[in-house]
Amino acid sequence: MHIAVILKQVPDLVEDVEVDASGIDIDRDRVAWKLSEFDDHALEQAVLLKEGGGVEVTALALDAAGVDQLLYSALARGADRAQKVPTPDRRTDAPRAAAALAPVLRGMGVDLVLTGVQAADDLNGQLGPILATTLGWPHVSVVSGVQLAGAAAQVQQEYSGGRMATLEITLPAVLGVQAAARPPRYVPISRLRQVTASAQIVSAPLAAEAAPLSTAVSCLAASEQGSRAHMLEGEPEEIAEQIVDVLRERGFVGARG
Amino acid sequence: MTPSTIALLVLLVVTFAWSGYRYWRVLRPLTHAAAEDRFDQPLRRVWGVITNVGGHTRLLRIRYAGVFHLLIFSGFVVLLTALVEEFGRGLFPGFSLAAIGGDTWIALLQDIFELLVLVGLAMAAYNRYVSRPERFRGSNQRDATIILILILSEMASLLLRHTFQIAEGHDPSAAWSPVSSALAGLAGTVGLHGAAAQPWAEVFYWTHILAILIFLPYIPTSKHLHIFVGIPNIYFRDLGPRGTLPDADLSQPSVGVKDVHQLGWKQMLDLFACTECGRCQDVCPAFAAGQPLSPKLLIMDLRNHLREQEGIGPRPTAAGGSQMLGDAISDDTLWACTTCRACMEVCPLHIEHIPKIVDMRRQLVEQGRMEHQLQDSLASLARYGNSFNQSERLRSRWTRELGFTIKDARKEPVDVLWFVGDFASYDPRVQRLTRSVARVMTRAGVDFGILYEGERNSGNDVRRVGEEGLFEMLAQHNIETLKGCQFKRIMTTDPHSLNAIGQEYPRLGGNYPVLHYTQLLVELLERGDLKPNREQEIVATYHDPCYLGRYNNGYFAPRRVLELLGIKLHEMPRCRENSFCCGAGGGRIWMDDGEIKERPSENRIREAVSLGDARYFVVACPKDAVMYTAAVQSLGMEGRIEVVDAIELVEAALEPEVAPVAVA
Amino acid sequence: MKGVLVYIEADGDRVAPISFELLMAARRLAEQLGGPVEALVASADPEPLAEQLGAADTVVAVTSPALAGYIPEAHQEVLVDAIRLRQPAVVLVGYTSAGIDLAAGAATAVQLPVVAYCISLRAEGNEVVADSLLYGGKLVATTRTQLPAVFSVVAGAFPEAARQPGGAGERIDMSTPSALGQLRTRLVGISSAGGTVDITKAERIVSVGRGIGGPDNIEAARELAAALGAELAASRPVVDSGWLPRERQVGKSGMTVKPKLYLAVGISGAPEHLEGMRGAGLVIAVNTDPRAPIFQAAGYGTTCDLCDLLPALSARLRESG
Repeated sequence: MHIAVILKQVPDLVEDVEVDASGIDIDRDRVAWKLSEFDDHALEQAVLLKEGGGVEVTALALDAAGVDQLLYSALARGADRAQKVPTPDRRTDAPRAAAALAPVLRGMGVDLVLTGVQAADDLNGQLGPILATTLGWPHVSVVSGVQLAGAAAQVQQEYSGGRMATLEITLPAVLGVQAAARPPRYVPISRLRQVTASAQIVSAPLAAEAAPLSTAVSCLAASEQGSRAHMLEGEPEEIAEQIVDVLRERGFVGARG
Repeated sequence: MTPSTIALLVLLVVTFAWSGYRYWRVLRPLTHAAAEDRFDQPLRRVWGVITNVGGHTRLLRIRYAGVFHLLIFSGFVVLLTALVEEFGRGLFPGFSLAAIGGDTWIALLQDIFELLVLVGLAMAAYNRYVSRPERFRGSNQRDATIILILILSEMASLLLRHTFQIAEGHDPSAAWSPVSSALAGLAGTVGLHGAAAQPWAEVFYWTHILAILIFLPYIPTSKHLHIFVGIPNIYFRDLGPRGTLPDADLSQPSVGVKDVHQLGWKQMLDLFACTECGRCQDVCPAFAAGQPLSPKLLIMDLRNHLREQEGIGPRPTAAGGSQMLGDAISDDTLWACTTCRACMEVCPLHIEHIPKIVDMRRQLVEQGRMEHQLQDSLASLARYGNSFNQSERLRSRWTRELGFTIKDARKEPVDVLWFVGDFASYDPRVQRLTRSVARVMTRAGVDFGILYEGERNSGNDVRRVGEEGLFEMLAQHNIETLKGCQFKRIMTTDPHSLNAIGQEYPRLGGNYPVLHYTQLLVELLERGDLKPNREQEIVATYHDPCYLGRYNNGYFAPRRVLELLGIKLHEMPRCRENSFCCGAGGGRIWMDDGEIKERPSENRIREAVSLGDARYFVVACPKDAVMYTAAVQSLGMEGRIEVVDAIELVEAALEPEVAPVAVA
Repeated sequence: MKGVLVYIEADGDRVAPISFELLMAARRLAEQLGGPVEALVASADPEPLAEQLGAADTVVAVTSPALAGYIPEAHQEVLVDAIRLRQPAVVLVGYTSAGIDLAAGAATAVQLPVVAYCISLRAEGNEVVADSLLYGGKLVATTRTQLPAVFSVVAGAFPEAARQPGGAGERIDMSTPSALGQLRTRLVGISSAGGTVDITKAERIVSVGRGIGGPDNIEAARELAAALGAELAASRPVVDSGWLPRERQVGKSGMTVKPKLYLAVGISGAPEHLEGMRGAGLVIAVNTDPRAPIFQAAGYGTTCDLCDLLPALSARLRESG
């Protein structure tokens, strides 16, 4: 059983994300990149399935800034192989990523593809369904559980309201993972260093040019929708006082005395 | 050769052969154990043996037990002469120590000490069976009883042998043996004198011999092995700086210890030296909190596991049966340790609990056996250099409310480089204390600077958690940053940073003079750079932080600060090297509390409150400030005692800054 | 190509609220672009659903037992066929679990562009200008897209269209896609969260997000909830980390709550979370990041650290009785 995990880096939202001079993109130089949270879960889920036995995991990522470190840490996490996939113009939006990844995946003999259900910047659609449809494979997103069952996989798809469906999907297939069975594990730095020193990352051949998108960003700006909250200032004691006053005004707390 | 000589000879040969085999089986693992360099500074090592063994320094900290142990121990030393005499006479008829005083002063000493040992035994029996101190909980009571009985048999039979020898009438040492003579007199009153006494002398002679010959092969699988292993264990104790941990070779595929045979020979020797006295258990904050860690049981379990692996001991199993890491010692046990070092401070045999725990933690980290909160904290430290999941940029945000700018030590030379520390920078409850330090140092005219975003967590507790790679990464980053700075010395408000920079960084190439902020305060106060108003009628108690006190001998400076402020110090019973840990060290602050009876911090606050008159609980460590403030709140004792940092007392005692007055 | 095609989601026999929001968006676009508003219903029994869709001009229905429960593959086939048949200028899909499956998938199958996370849509000639929330709601991207195109719309971005009973004017029954006979995906079963707590019934909620830091600080939040007489809830990262059970999760893939009071503690305010609580009455937000999107959804806010504020607030509330 061969599982492929598609990984991508997104801006770390702990840091500020600034718009660059062009006004239509983020300032990619000043941004701290980190593995997309849901891709992290997808990788963890793949490694968990590998620990069940009889499974090999290949980590793939588009060739973008920091891709080497990304793939080394995937190997340190438990992936067996890592592969970089170049795109003609280094664009990493989902449609172009799918176009670059599909031939590679077809050539690799993959049974299951896991990737994050979405990413913080996938304005042009989520990778899972786009990749699956390009490959002609079935797909399920918002997956929070995966069990392998021979030529098929059983997956849990989350709906709103705490409801969940269990679906059985014939392989090969693509899953958009929301949560792994366990939170992503920590990798000791020493293992990461050893892997970085010893492992090899293969590079796939350059894919054919993908069709340009007929959609473009015309403006990127800080979000300002709706009216802002009335901000409370002061020492914690004072703020607590003000909050209790507001609550009392609205009848949530009894009158004083 | 008389039949009795032959009999004794045969017994001796058989016993020695059998014992030799047992000692060999038990101690053999030492020959395969990893190397350790403990052969340096022989004079210092010998001196340690003299004070610890001869002087009973640590044993006497529990006065009653120290005294009776001293009695029994010194008795054994003196009565070695009796041992020589008994076996000598048995093997070589005519053998005697008369030439060197065997019938005079040696006999006197033997007599007195036989009695003293019996007194010691009585005291020991009272301790074990009537007083029943808590520290014995978990110790092997049966082993202890057998030992007391065997010692009693030896002493009693020796004394009675002398008694009946004297009663027989031909003993030249009678005049010098008051106790035996008195007993002989008693024996005489029931007709046991002269020829009638002789068979009894024989009986007790053989009883004594047999007691010894039974004891000898019993010892290897008993805690009494300490009589042989104890002195070497103390001799080979760790003379290195307290604040360092054993090195780990990160070029190896694996670090840490998961199998008992991976232990170094001194680490293994510790296991044989343990007497199950439980002093370590008594002072352990994790044990007091009801967590699954007792340092004593840790050592005993390792020892028992080793015996099992060797197929020897109470319950030998097939070799390669259970695992050391996970079966013999559970993960929870290892994670419960705060690395406060109280156990190692009190152990009379200088057993090293913490290096073993950390070495095993290294394996747990490698195998990913950590709870998720700890994993998240390590991931945060790896990514952001702090455990708060906050950007590096925000490290100096606490300086915004100061109203003045602190020098950037990366850009300009400073006299004192202030290594602020994670909690002091990021935790809002501590940030106000950090600002207080900044204001006081500015008022005193200290030329200081900070590293702003260049600072990372010092790595001290990361190392104690067992994540060596991350520790090195953080330490190397800090050292690189410091290399580019010009300063005379480093000052820190965090004892954990103090320990890392002062004790752990040198071997990574970072050699810097470092002091704790209380030491700097003493300088400033004594020099007059700070002029406190001393008219305060305050009684306070002071809590010694583990990494300032035990680890770095920093007991004087904080107390001197209080003295210079005119504050009356009322010490808690557990102070200085006996200070009781707040429970946050060793990475515990990054872990879930779990099931606990009572938090160590709450235990400590109650100790402080029970002093009666201490208004303030003075701390000198940011984690202490956080833990003890929370403890006072959860105990609801806000009215009875207040947690204050030393810097708050200093700042409060300074005259308010006088603003320039405009001329009317 | 003409008109707007809306993919209708259903909860049993009831059309989901987000579908009514999409119908409103569709109506506005159709007024600008011309053409009908068409509602696509894929179900084993479309009648009860079609009844509720009076806000549309046409109901396009596909009936098949294979559509008895939601199966991504089946619904994607239906949506693809409908797009090919009806040739709309705009396709609207809601940002839900099904929406994630279908919007990008169907768009790829018919080689149309797709724009996700839309909070506003406006037609300009043969283009649609859309605003989309990215980076956890911190930035808004404005896009211009040539039609035909597919748009995935965030819940709460549009008001609901009036529910006019009696069904739409026109009804078209599309034939069942042949692929429905060769599905590679099968629905095994559906379960609910279960558990002992139903936060959807709570009138007051204290909700904790990733900023709470860890399970230890959740105690402080629990005490505050007790002092307020509120239920404790959480955002998805807190539940995924195992600090609170799934039954307490608020958001797109959790519960939707409409309490009178919602205290958001350490929650950044990503659209997925806001979706679960936007119907709340008074929202007070606590977050150290002054640019956190939660403050746009709150009536009152503070950047005070929750470690200081929660105990102070609990103490004050206990005093006030």
